[in-house]
Amino acid sequence: MSAPLLAARGLEYAYPGGIVALRTLDLAVEPGRKMAILGPNGSGKTTLLLHLNGTYRPVRGEVLLDGRPAAYDRRALDEWRRRVGLVLQEPDDQLFAATVAQDVSFGPLNLGLPEPAVHERVGEALEALRIAHLADRATHTLSFGQKKRVAIAGVLAMRPEILVLDEPTAGLDAHGVAHLLAALNRLHGAGTTLVFSTHDVELAYAWADEVALFHEGTVLGQGETTAVLGNRELLERARLRPPLLLEMAEALRANESEDRHRPPPRSREALLAMLRERFPARPTKSDLLAAAPDQDRYSGA
Amino acid sequence: MRAIDHHAWTNRWRDRHPAEKLLPALGLLSLTLFLPPLTTAPLVLAGAALATVRGAGVPLRALVAVMAAPLAFLLAGAPFLAISLRFDEGFSVGFSPAGGRLALDATLRALAATGCLAFLILTTPLADWVPLLRRAGVPTGVIELILLIYRLIFVFAERALTGRRAQVARLGYSRLDRGLRSVGLLAGNLFQRALAQARRMEIGLAARGYDGELRVLAPARPLSWLRLMAGMTGVGLIGLAGGLLGRGSP
Repeated sequence: MSAPLLAARGLEYAYPGGIVALRTLDLAVEPGRKMAILGPNGSGKTTLLLHLNGTYRPVRGEVLLDGRPAAYDRRALDEWRRRVGLVLQEPDDQLFAATVAQDVSFGPLNLGLPEPAVHERVGEALEALRIAHLADRATHTLSFGQKKRVAIAGVLAMRPEILVLDEPTAGLDAHGVAHLLAALNRLHGAGTTLVFSTHDVELAYAWADEVALFHEGTVLGQGETTAVLGNRELLERARLRPPLLLEMAEALRANESEDRHRPPPRSREALLAMLRERFPARPTKSDLLAAAPDQDRYSGA
Repeated sequence: MRAIDHHAWTNRWRDRHPAEKLLPALGLLSLTLFLPPLTTAPLVLAGAALATVRGAGVPLRALVAVMAAPLAFLLAGAPFLAISLRFDEGFSVGFSPAGGRLALDATLRALAATGCLAFLILTTPLADWVPLLRRAGVPTGVIELILLIYRLIFVFAERALTGRRAQVARLGYSRLDRGLRSVGLLAGNLFQRALAQARRMEIGLAARGYDGELRVLAPARPLSWLRLMAGMTGVGLIGLAGGLLGRGSP
């Protein structure tokens, strides 16, 4: 097997003052995946993400790019950050320029691209997130969801191979989440590897190919989503509840041996289809009346 | 401030090259300084107001609101210019016609000049000033500070507002002494958060290759010589009219 695109081996990190944030952590990101780093708030997920683009340097262990230990000199870091784009949780921590287009132009300009190429990158990134109409808006007049998309566009304009997102859906309403996930799906479809941290088991279950279960500064287990989130013992150790969809599906087919080999539902629609199959709808009164249109429905009254 | 910012970003002349607004405004400003104010200043004020309201489509109310505060200071200060103190024969306070004239001239001048500035700030968003500042040779560090302060003003204003609301909800301002204490706590909290914000922003910028300079694309605004000439012609006409009308007066 070829080396993973990005990996962490035996990572250890303590904050000044001795607070241990990461302990002997291993992680591997294969190209083309959608990986969720799933764990409760305050468990050190952000600290891990900050190691993945070289912001923090581990006390022990190492981060590997294409299987080679990453270096921390200026030039290596520049190349690293071009390949691994990091989007912070709070967009106001990232957006600094007066207009949207200006903010998105920051990364490409730092890559040393000539101005026409920067314009092209800005247009492309804004289009990918469907926010081209916001290009000339003042940054501070945007809604939270819009700021979030601009923050992602600003990183995307550098055309990273891996996009690392810290709690990308936090603070968004259902519509905002759907909008964002659709955008991320398009990026994934175009070949970008996605790594995102979340505390939301349902989101990880519905959306990730792969889950790394994170608990108290270390990865308890990493693997295919259904395998990791179907592992009760592992989930319990991480103090997480299994996804509702999975639990419902298990309850539904508890006695149906022929269902055992079907994959569990991963979306609301799939669960509803399963429910309909299991409990075919009984015809309602209006169905019956509609089926017999030639009868006068008031004749018996 | 929010209102000024809003109009600067949304007015009809927003997309025009800033020089098309800056040069005529500076022209009007110099007219008020060098020509007899009694006739010129009202014309300049009318010109600036017309450009702001008719030209750029900023509501008159917004213009009045911007000018209200400076106007209040002017009106409060003007009477004192008209009063003269004399010490030659003992001490006397008196109103002199010359002093009255001085007060009138100064007030008119200041009012017209405020009108020119109001026109500028209501029609030109901050992002457009940056290329001009750069061209004028302002050091990069200063420009970056301006940009960051401008951006963060809104972030922190929001936080200050929410923080204050939370304090009010817990009766933090129910008495004068509590109010003072609450303001102090809020300020301390905002300082801490500003530091934390700065640290996180540094991380966010580093992730996009920040190397000590905040480079962004300048907005593309083609300069229309026609519009600039039209503006300057207007300024010239106002100057001519103000000068001719004011020729007889001392």
